[in-house]
Amino acid sequence: MSNTLNVNDHLYEFHSPAGTTLAETLRDELALTGTKVACAEGHCGACTVLVDGSPTLACITLAHSVGDAKVTTIEGLREHPMVESFVRSDALQCGFCTPGQIVSAVALVEAKAVPTRDEIRHAMAGNLCRCGAYPKIEEAIRTWQD
Amino acid sequence: MELRQASSATELDGATPVHGGTEVVPLLRAGLLSADTLIDIRPIVPRGISRERIGAGATLAELECDPQVPAALREACRLAASPQLRNMGSLAGNLLQATRCWYWRLNWPCRLHGGDECFAQEGEHREHAIVANDFCASGHPSDVAATLVALDAVLHTSTRTLPVAELYRLPTEDNRATTTLEPGELILEVEVPPCDASVYLKAMDRKRWAFPLVGVAAARSGDSTRIALAGVAPVPWLLDGELDDATPLPGNAYKVELAQALVRRAKTALASA
Amino acid sequence: MARLIRTEKEVEGRYEEVWLVVEEDALQQWPAGARSIVGQPAVRVDGLERARGEAIFTADLRLNGMLHTAVLRSPHAAATVGRIDLTPALALPGVHVALGPGDIPQLEDDCNYEGVAVAAVCADTLAQARAALAAVEIEWTVREPLLDADEAVRRGQYVNDGPRVRERGDFERGLAEADVVVTGEFTTAVVLHNSMETHQAVVQWVGDAVEVHISTQYIWGVRDTVASGLGLPPDKVRVICHYMGGGFGSKNEPDDYTFIAAELAKRTGRPVKCALTRREENVNSGNRNATIQRLTIGAKSDGTLTALGGDFLNAVGWSGWSSSTEGPMQMLYACANVKTTTYGAKINQPPMKAFRAPGFVEGTFGLESLLDELASKLDLDPMELRRRNYADHDAADARPFSSKRLMECYRRAEPHWERRHEVRARSTDTVKRGVGMASQIWYGGGGPPSYAWIRVGSDGRVTVVTAMQDIGTGTKTAMAQIAAEELGIPFEHVTVSIGDSARGPYAAISAGSSTTPSMGPAVRAAAADAKRQILEIAAQRHHLEERVLDLKDGNVVSADGNLSSPLSEVVGLLEDAQILGKGARGPNPTGMQVLTFGVQVAEVAVDVETGEVWVDRIAAVHDVGRVINPLGASSQIEGGIIQGVGHTLSEERLHDPKTGRILTSGLDAYRLPTIADVPEIISELVDEPDEHLTNLGSKGLGEPPIIPTAAAIANAIRDATGADVRSLPISRAEMLRALREAELRAKEREKVGAPAGV
Ligand SMILES: Cc1cc2nc3c(=O)[nH]c(=O)nc-3n(C[C@H](O)[C@H](O)[C@H](O)COP(=O)(O)OP(=O)(O)OC[C@H]3O[C@@H](n4cnc5c(N)ncnc54)[C@H](O)[C@@H]3O)c2cc1C
Ligand code: SF4
Ligand code: FES
Ligand code: FES
Repeated sequence: MSNTLNVNDHLYEFHSPAGTTLAETLRDELALTGTKVACAEGHCGACTVLVDGSPTLACITLAHSVGDAKVTTIEGLREHPMVESFVRSDALQCGFCTPGQIVSAVALVEAKAVPTRDEIRHAMAGNLCRCGAYPKIEEAIRTWQD
Repeated sequence: MELRQASSATELDGATPVHGGTEVVPLLRAGLLSADTLIDIRPIVPRGISRERIGAGATLAELECDPQVPAALREACRLAASPQLRNMGSLAGNLLQATRCWYWRLNWPCRLHGGDECFAQEGEHREHAIVANDFCASGHPSDVAATLVALDAVLHTSTRTLPVAELYRLPTEDNRATTTLEPGELILEVEVPPCDASVYLKAMDRKRWAFPLVGVAAARSGDSTRIALAGVAPVPWLLDGELDDATPLPGNAYKVELAQALVRRAKTALASA
Repeated sequence: MARLIRTEKEVEGRYEEVWLVVEEDALQQWPAGARSIVGQPAVRVDGLERARGEAIFTADLRLNGMLHTAVLRSPHAAATVGRIDLTPALALPGVHVALGPGDIPQLEDDCNYEGVAVAAVCADTLAQARAALAAVEIEWTVREPLLDADEAVRRGQYVNDGPRVRERGDFERGLAEADVVVTGEFTTAVVLHNSMETHQAVVQWVGDAVEVHISTQYIWGVRDTVASGLGLPPDKVRVICHYMGGGFGSKNEPDDYTFIAAELAKRTGRPVKCALTRREENVNSGNRNATIQRLTIGAKSDGTLTALGGDFLNAVGWSGWSSSTEGPMQMLYACANVKTTTYGAKINQPPMKAFRAPGFVEGTFGLESLLDELASKLDLDPMELRRRNYADHDAADARPFSSKRLMECYRRAEPHWERRHEVRARSTDTVKRGVGMASQIWYGGGGPPSYAWIRVGSDGRVTVVTAMQDIGTGTKTAMAQIAAEELGIPFEHVTVSIGDSARGPYAAISAGSSTTPSMGPAVRAAAADAKRQILEIAAQRHHLEERVLDLKDGNVVSADGNLSSPLSEVVGLLEDAQILGKGARGPNPTGMQVLTFGVQVAEVAVDVETGEVWVDRIAAVHDVGRVINPLGASSQIEGGIIQGVGHTLSEERLHDPKTGRILTSGLDAYRLPTIADVPEIISELVDEPDEHLTNLGSKGLGEPPIIPTAAAIANAIRDATGADVRSLPISRAEMLRALREAELRAKEREKVGAPAGV
């Protein structure tokens, strides 16, 4: 199957063996370490990237199964106003979960620019934050256009 | 390991089908599943949703917000897993997910793994089954499967048509399988008969993103109501009676009370719907 | 002048007598209240690089030629390695070295808990290392584990010398004097830190020195432990941690993985990474141990406490320490007769580690819950009961508090507490609502030593240099604020350089809520030293006296207003020379107890048929002295409360009761709170400097907010339903049990009461 990846609008050829995950390929082969891995089994959301715009867990996605779908990582969202909003709202503490949070948040506001509190809580429930930045994450998403 | 793209539903050649991979990939990496060849079945499994037919490749996220889907099924999908997992996971894959029993997931040589002991029965079983738990005490984790059982849905596979309840079987000494799916058989579509009202109620350890301690699905068509439960038996459990004959383990008797309360509520909700 | 003192040093509620060199803390405190930078909300100085995914955590390091490690850990709670053969692993592709038991002290063949490191393999890739590990042949002799903490106590099997008895007054007499006595047994479960970045290190040798990149809360502690472990002089060990992904008390030491990486790096001559998986993390990186608390409270009918007593059992694990679960009972209230006995049971379970206010979180749950049971027996307002027993000095050892504004916290909590009538009134037949409160006491004063340097360049920009770590609490930002405030320059002109033992002076551990109170005064002292030098130069340049000069908004200004010249003009004279300021943390006030205080008020709803609990709102008022950054402080409070909610409602590490093996090592089964579980949180800080404490008057805030949360929630549940929850987490099972017990009690009361009514 495919051994090219379209990441942040760049086409990469990669060589990892079948069975390698997208997270491993991004981090180890393409040196895109903004995507974090905190559990490597689909339980925490730290590795969230967009695949054709949809939040996806890179740690349990097989790199070779991505095909020509467009992958967007935090590196591709650095200029998105959501990043500034997270900083402004203090929506991060240690920052390890943060790239994943921002990726999920961007997908949410792309679908609905001004989500309600309940919509935020529903859409962000798959991104764990052990530091407990949640109230400020909610605020960052509510005020990202400010 | 090899990964192939499927081109025909009838020629999997012994390869392990993978759709969203949310189950397959973690199981492979934990050594709970071994496969030389994986076959990506996304190209050949239908994905569309219409009022009565749902492609088995539809994701839970798609089902969650499609108004053609019965209320109970939408709710079951909405409360299942996490947003990312719902984006990735397919309906068929959800029906075929393995147990969450921690002993099984940690690869203890228990009955479901072919051994001769159920560690949960004597051990830690607060999340386990309260009925049909004498051989294996796992609680079926799928919100969606219980809901489809209550909705009396029918599966169309690459080889047959069967009521969804018949996809499941209680494991026995001679056959440890919990489904009746044959090797190489693919689930292609799910047919959901119309009903007048349906609800899904779920009790879990946190407000989102947890497996059901108890899930109760109920559907009413005319005078007849079907109720099915998640998390109370090794398979989705079609309710017959009031759970008075439940056989809880020492550490999960609370589930009987919880299930009874949710069943009462589901009935009330249907009556007023 | 440097002064040598012998003093008590407190970390996480544990005391040590140590020799310290301290420098006098000559600066006057700033007057109370927000200043132009300190006390104003500041966004994190390193927020952007973390948010953009640019920050390089230890997990992200990719050094040239770096090898990866997989560690074989005991799957048994009690077992000995019979035979082990590493050769099949060595034959596999990519493998460089395999280590077995005894090759280094951290690899053992006698295992007394699950997760003890036995062997390790390093290879070109992690996948190869794991494959090789699976090929290691190993045979075990498995023993019966001891898992029951009560049984360990019966056998006298302790992690420390034995039970810790603390008594004042006469407990028995206090009981005899009481009008009402309440007793209760409370239990708390093992909970796991679950830092998002797992414990890990990358180690490489540079000549005869070793370089350790590590996700840590204590750069200097790691340096010392690694040096003594490897038999090196400490200056041959360089420890680096620029960003770290959470610790919560679990990352104070280098642990086995660092020594494994160091040995493999030595043998291969390559950088070696050793990172715990999430599963290893949740078995082997420490935990908040389970407790059993058997408590008694005696009181007069007016609420005056006459006796407090408790047996506190810490199920510590195989090693670690028996934390101060009795602390709140000893310290929180004025009571003449107190007796506590604390047991540290040694069992075949992974060792505990400090976890955000160890002991006090658990002990406050028991004490403050039982106190509310007393209040309900006495028909007293729980807030009033606490006020009546207010301690105005440390009841345990008669020392005065350096400052205590708990009464002010109660006063400010009043409006939240008053909501209870309205909240209760919103109950329905099935959903009952209520409000509960609990108080908090804890350490958090920090202490010496800690040092900072300040470098002022000729462009007028300033760098704070200190080899501390920022574990996500925002200390880097707070240090920039303090330096900018003291130097009278814009916040944006300060850079903080941390995270490298070779590039800065000693800095305190980031644990025990101590970073800001320890580091902050040193940074201010260094800034003051730099400022003095700047003014000396400016005085000579402008032919004015130093005492009429000051720094304001980046300018050198004179008192008469005639001079206002940009700082860069003065220091610009220096060209490539720099002004260096140096500062040290002064001593803590002698003969005083430095503590933090607070109160939280929780609002809950309980579904009495399904046992579901919603925590709707928590109001927190804490007294931690002067607040440096109110924005960061509110985040700390929220984070603590949210961890508290997890501890209270959903988190529990389970083990198999026969084998002792951990069952909930994955985040699917171990339930951290999600964003959907978070209550509305209102936080307030008293923000009055502690006039006796340092040049800042600031105490730490990392731990206090997690302490009262569980008890406040449990008390709100009682208020809503009449049910006494006694066990954390308050799972469906526990909630339904407590509800049915309360129903039975109510029925009994009716039966007993019936004849009288006839
Ligand atoms: C952390 C976590 C939490 C979860 N929480 C919940 C929850 O709360 N409630 C709930 O109901 N579910 C939950 N799930 C289950 C989740 O919904 C399923 O994992 C997902 O739907 C599986 O779909 P998939 O396409 O990824 O399956 P895959 O991983 O691709 O496949 C799963 C299995 O189905 C087989 N398979 C897939 N498609 C077909 C087909 N068309 N025909 C035949 N065989 C097929 C595969 O061979 C494999 O055996 C959770 C899962 C995870 C990992
Ligand atoms: S409940 Fe089933 S899966 Fe779990 S240990 Fe028992 S037999 Fe195995
Ligand atoms: S790292 Fe992918 S979900 Fe945790
Ligand atoms: S900011 Fe630390 S885990 Fe979210």
